[in-house]
Amino acid sequence: MLLTIIEKEIREIIGSSKFVLIFGSCAVLILLSFYVGAKNYKLNRIRYEAAQAENLRQFEGLTDWYSIQQHRIFLPPDPLATLVSGVSNDIGRTVEIEGRGEINPLGSRFSEDPIFAVFRFLDLEFVFGTILSLFAILMGYDAIAGEKERGTLRLSFANSVSRPVYILGKLIGSFIALAVPLLLAMAVGALLLPIMSVSLTGESWIRLISIGSIGLLYFGVFLTLSVFISSATERTSSAFLILLVVWISSALIIPRASVLIAGRTVDVPSVDEIAAKKNLYSRQLYGEDSEKMGSFVPENSEDFDAMIDEFNRFMGDLADERDRKMRELSERLNEERYNAQKRQEKLALNIARISPTTSFTLAATQLAGTSVEMKNRFKDEGEKYQRQYGDFIKEKTGSNPGGRMVVVRMSDEEGETPEAIDPTELPSFDFQQENLSASIDKSLPDAGVLVVFNLLFFAAAFAAFVRYDVR
Amino acid sequence: MTNIDDITRPLLEAANLTKVYEDGVLALDHVSFSVRRGQIFAMLGGNGAGKTTTVNLFLNFIEPSEGSALVDGIASHEEPLIVKQKLAFVSENVMLYPNFTAIQNLDYFARLGGKTDYSKDDYRDVLLRVGLEEEAHNKKLKGFSKGMRQKCGIAIAILKDAPGILLDEPTSGLDPKAGYEFLRLLDTLRDENRAILMSTHDIFRAKEIADTIAFMKTGKIVMQKNSYELEGQNLESLYMEYMSGTATGTAA
Repeated sequence: MLLTIIEKEIREIIGSSKFVLIFGSCAVLILLSFYVGAKNYKLNRIRYEAAQAENLRQFEGLTDWYSIQQHRIFLPPDPLATLVSGVSNDIGRTVEIEGRGEINPLGSRFSEDPIFAVFRFLDLEFVFGTILSLFAILMGYDAIAGEKERGTLRLSFANSVSRPVYILGKLIGSFIALAVPLLLAMAVGALLLPIMSVSLTGESWIRLISIGSIGLLYFGVFLTLSVFISSATERTSSAFLILLVVWISSALIIPRASVLIAGRTVDVPSVDEIAAKKNLYSRQLYGEDSEKMGSFVPENSEDFDAMIDEFNRFMGDLADERDRKMRELSERLNEERYNAQKRQEKLALNIARISPTTSFTLAATQLAGTSVEMKNRFKDEGEKYQRQYGDFIKEKTGSNPGGRMVVVRMSDEEGETPEAIDPTELPSFDFQQENLSASIDKSLPDAGVLVVFNLLFFAAAFAAFVRYDVR
Repeated sequence: MTNIDDITRPLLEAANLTKVYEDGVLALDHVSFSVRRGQIFAMLGGNGAGKTTTVNLFLNFIEPSEGSALVDGIASHEEPLIVKQKLAFVSENVMLYPNFTAIQNLDYFARLGGKTDYSKDDYRDVLLRVGLEEEAHNKKLKGFSKGMRQKCGIAIAILKDAPGILLDEPTSGLDPKAGYEFLRLLDTLRDENRAILMSTHDIFRAKEIADTIAFMKTGKIVMQKNSYELEGQNLESLYMEYMSGTATGTAA
């Protein structure tokens, strides 16, 4: 009996023109999101490699490691970040490395192409989060109320069919009928990646499959919700209206409103406020050091090189001390801001998790490595690199970089042009993604929330249908 | 093989059947009647008389407030799944699944009714029997007229091979030819020893086919006579008398 109902449900859905139209549109969007993602990735890769080459090229001909200025590192493009963009287009992708001080990622994708900030990208997160949830509603709103309006429910229950078996058959049948074609569309889309010469590592494939699974869980939430609402209403028009309101609230209003509420509730000092405090302190420290520089008297004023070395050491010590004080202030201010921001974020996310769309977005971006943590991860990696770079420069020059005293030698003691430095010796920036198990661990709570939503709506559909008036 | 007990014992029986809806409306007021195998029992009455409520009670779509709807001696509200195995049902407006062909609809409902061994030829035979042309058998129902859909609904009821058949306004909206064919079909089903309970507005068809006719008004049977008792009587005038309250007779 259960199989009969499941089979009928699958055939009925797949044979309907509504399915052909809606699924056709969704399949095109899924394929398009993979195609656009692959294209974007390749374009970003070309830009990234060009920027890296240009960064090294600007140091060609320099004869002193001290002379290196505007050394930049770049956030490497990731195929998954183009499929589930998360915050990857909002954060700065370039960091200027000075060897000391605070780093500040600049040049986000949206700042380069502001039009995308307005319309955003067509990626899997958008297709699943917005389009497929709507697809689930459009396919599920008439699951029960529609059968009642058609009179087929009455005819079905003129047979010895138990209600639990019937609703179970409907839920399983509709999930299979809708999820399998979506999976196929996703599989074809994923195949586009190697076809378009975008290679994914084994870990990235696992991440992509996990994102697909989370997407199906999320799709299941809206499908079971649709069947539940359809089982709790007498008319398809009422079911559709209720579901539309729920969908708008879930996909569009709650995530935005939660950020707004959290923003009003928890006060976070702005970046500008903090920057102003840092600038003020920095100016104060420079003022103090200027006085010290004015009182600098070399011990050995006969030997120019020794004098320069002594001056550099003096300047280096001042810079080190200034840097230490700035770092202490920065760390304190950053920590205060970070803590307030975390409180705000936590509140926003807890409110937003009322909506399954939030849970899906959080889990998917966590798996793709494009969650809100991405900015801090890039910054942390950048700071790690800066220390590495500082050590490298110290090794090459004997003193820390950033003393703000550059001596350009046109010739050495013998009057010959000194040998040019080899910029390729600079340590390379190797951005480390969060490891897979950590990403999965972090996505599990939201995946769990989606499972709970599924079970909850499934049970609600069950309970509503058992009491449903089939006449 | 049908034995004598099966023929004499009522298959469908309303025993003091009463239904009061949640809003307090008395839809059925201590209604009693019985239908034996090989009999057609027609309920006539206006809208809100309680005809469809009676059918719904037999199918356990609603539970009785008092009394029982018995099928082969089993109360439908106590053992609904067993009772439904013994009943086939044709509703007023058969819609079925518009994206399925006639045969696919038959196949689904036959399997839902527990009949899993029918072949496509069986479906074709029964569709031909109810008068649906062969060229329509593999067409989707969304292009079918009401009469064609009704024929499919009757075919589904026949395929279930149940001893009792419930018909809720089955001829409503059918053209004269389809109506005539439907009556002939009922005739053959009666000959196959089915007990048929039919609710209808159609006095003339009821008189032509039914073994017993009951007039229902505001949830009560106000008149019940068999075809012999009705012989020579103008059923339409009788109906009008009962409905207007000028009749002197009582329920049989």
